[in-house]
Amino acid sequence: MSTVAHSRGFRPSRRAILAGLVALSGVAGLSGPVACSGPGVPDRRTLIDSRDNYDPRSLDPALSTDVPTGRAVSYVFDGLTRFTPKAAVVPDLATSWELASDGITYTFHLRNGVRFHDGTSFSASDVRHSWERVLDPATKGGRGWPLYPIRGAQEFAAGKAPSISGLKVVDDSTIEITLTEPFAIFPKMLAMPATAIVPKVTPPDFGEHPIGTGPWKFVAWHHDDYLLFARNTQYHDGAPLADSLEARIIPELSTAEAEFQAGNVDGLQVPAQESPSWESNEETRPLLQSAPSLRLIYGAINTTRGPLRDVRVRQAINLAVDRGMILRRLMGGRGTLAAGVIPPSLDGFNPSLAAYPYDTARARTLLKDAGYPNGIDIELWTSQSEQFPRIAQTIQAYLAQVGIRVKIVQRDASSMREAARNGKTDIALKDWYADYPDAENFLYPLLHSNNRGVGGNVSFFSNATFDSVVSRARREPDDQKRFALYREADSLAHEQAPMLFMFFYTELYAVQPWLKGFTVPSIFTGERWTTAHIERPPKTAPK
Amino acid sequence: MDNGAHRAAAKDGTEVTSYIIRRLLLAIPTLFGVLVVTFLLLYIAPGDPVQEMVGERADSATIARLRKELRLDEPVLSQFTHYAGGVIRGDLGTSYITRRPILSDVLERFPKTLLLAGTAMLFASITGILIGVLSAQHPGGWFDRISLGGAYLGISFPVYWVGLLLILLFAVTLHWLPPSGYGGIRHLILPALALGTRSVAFLARVTRSAMLDVLNSDFVRTARAKGLSERAVVLKHGLRNALIPVITVLGLDFGYYLTGSILTETIFSWPGLGRYVVNAISRRDLPAIQGSVLFLSVIFVLVNLLTDLAYAKADKRVNL
Repeated sequence: MSTVAHSRGFRPSRRAILAGLVALSGVAGLSGPVACSGPGVPDRRTLIDSRDNYDPRSLDPALSTDVPTGRAVSYVFDGLTRFTPKAAVVPDLATSWELASDGITYTFHLRNGVRFHDGTSFSASDVRHSWERVLDPATKGGRGWPLYPIRGAQEFAAGKAPSISGLKVVDDSTIEITLTEPFAIFPKMLAMPATAIVPKVTPPDFGEHPIGTGPWKFVAWHHDDYLLFARNTQYHDGAPLADSLEARIIPELSTAEAEFQAGNVDGLQVPAQESPSWESNEETRPLLQSAPSLRLIYGAINTTRGPLRDVRVRQAINLAVDRGMILRRLMGGRGTLAAGVIPPSLDGFNPSLAAYPYDTARARTLLKDAGYPNGIDIELWTSQSEQFPRIAQTIQAYLAQVGIRVKIVQRDASSMREAARNGKTDIALKDWYADYPDAENFLYPLLHSNNRGVGGNVSFFSNATFDSVVSRARREPDDQKRFALYREADSLAHEQAPMLFMFFYTELYAVQPWLKGFTVPSIFTGERWTTAHIERPPKTAPK
Repeated sequence: MDNGAHRAAAKDGTEVTSYIIRRLLLAIPTLFGVLVVTFLLLYIAPGDPVQEMVGERADSATIARLRKELRLDEPVLSQFTHYAGGVIRGDLGTSYITRRPILSDVLERFPKTLLLAGTAMLFASITGILIGVLSAQHPGGWFDRISLGGAYLGISFPVYWVGLLLILLFAVTLHWLPPSGYGGIRHLILPALALGTRSVAFLARVTRSAMLDVLNSDFVRTARAKGLSERAVVLKHGLRNALIPVITVLGLDFGYYLTGSILTETIFSWPGLGRYVVNAISRRDLPAIQGSVLFLSVIFVLVNLLTDLAYAKADKRVNL
């Protein structure tokens, strides 16, 4: 999943605003961008989030293809499994599961006594119904792939089968799932919002009035304004501590910052370029919390276009760009350099695999060896969001030093995605945000030849050895063996350089001092605000 | 009132009605033109609605199926006839992204945009005309000079800059007003100020020069000569005659208010139509873009008509 598609909109630089303020002068107290006047603990019992920057598509899990939708769905609904803030996968509506010796048949034992928000009981048949609904062509959801590993799922999605043959309701609290082939990480996919469980009866406006089993009951949705949820006192894992949760939709980052400074929101996602000003301010520094995020920022190098077909050229590109400098100067140092595609927090990450060094001499030699002593001409595509245009300009300057002449093509996210998927970009500067916490979620969609184009592999990388290692890893039931295969695949990716490896992002939040029990999530649906609450200083008794 | 006056009034009434009907009929080809142009522009624009629907990771079978279901695989003419047919029946279609009917989405947001634009316009006209009239009293005087300087600044400042400044001052530093969001009158003040600022400046300048023209004319001299109070001269004879160009500016500005509100709505998290359109464009939600553009065109046609009717009201010499 990408976060680039809808970045916050118009953003005059902070400096421009400040310069203007100074010019106008006389405005006392506006000495810095985050001049907090320290709002007191608010008198509300509602938690207020500020992270959504556009209206969710719907609150229907089947339509959950973007971040605000997925986040809202994760409040109202449960899956068989769920993500923790630190991106571990734990049981949710399922209490346990076992895998039969055939390696493809899972038996999921479901929680008893769980009720939907409308009072109806949850049972195994709801699972079957929910997943059929996601895959049903009539739903037009477009997010069927997490269930494709189930036998018969793709046939059902194509309208060629009346039901999903791999799903068997054994009894009310047991469901048997048969896959087409061994796929050890399958239980992780069941924590994605798209596979969440909905009741059997879903009215046509279900996306506007969702009913789930999750920690928060839906109350109201004022489009482009806010979503309101109330605590589900019957929640199976213990009712949320706060009375209600409001997810405000704030398109402009500076506005979200103002709301935070005014004490109107409890948490704020601080973007990379703003982090230095938050970190250098004495008042705001103590409010900051960070967590490694499962997000890779990279330039997809189309391995089928011109000189880029040559691995030496792709390596030269990696050697010619000082990524460390870009990370420090443009991203506020928020991240770690990427050697391959597996983030450091996931199993399969290889700490001994070093990122490409900044070595222009070697880059020039490689280009010469590849037969391009006079350099090459390429197009670098970027969207307008966040720091991407500035990163692109910096890459352009670095590559010019080794004779690679870069033309920057800046487009809106939608046009760029289409061009990249159609193979029309030389290098596409983009990011990838994990849908589930596993190295497979980077290796397979981004670089396996099955996923060239729309599947996520816009490098159009097709390498038989890599494919076979990744495919074996997907089928490997033994954790340690699978992690070893992941490491092998990542080393291959590093060596073949189908992308300009940039960095893994580190999430930075500003959290109000009164907000307790909140953890910065490593995956976007990881924090469900169940333990979050506003802590008030104990009232002193009036004398 | 004698019979003759009655008849004249009745004749006036019929003339106005037939004028309105004529103008509304003329609007049909205009709107059809808008429909065709929008449709073709979106057809040739890059970006793919289906890819926006499926998100970052998808499979080609799903994409092909969705494309077929949305008729996006059909020739452009057949797509257009299907869409135009719906529009004629009053159906603006369903959003690709949200699955909600476009018309109800637009109708939910438009009143909020109208409220913001209306308030900003009210603020701008009262302040702008007042400043203009006062400046014209003593051209070159201190008030005139200050307001001229203020007007230059007001016209030059982009709305998002003014907006952020207002937020920083009134919400973050002074805590007088909420920084953003939709709610009561307290939420309305800052965005209306931000949206109206440019217009205040413009209206002040237009009113000033129109007033100066009028105040230097013969009939004003006559009015003064016959001993009318300065107040009566300025308001009754001066302002009324100076209003024509002001109405023109207001009418033209209304378009600015509706489109300028995109930025204001974004800065102030105001849930209006402007943000809806921007979101629809970034997600390539074709029916939502087409529906909103068509809806806004209808509003423009109506506003232009109202402006022309207002001319006639302000100046009896204008023939409809």
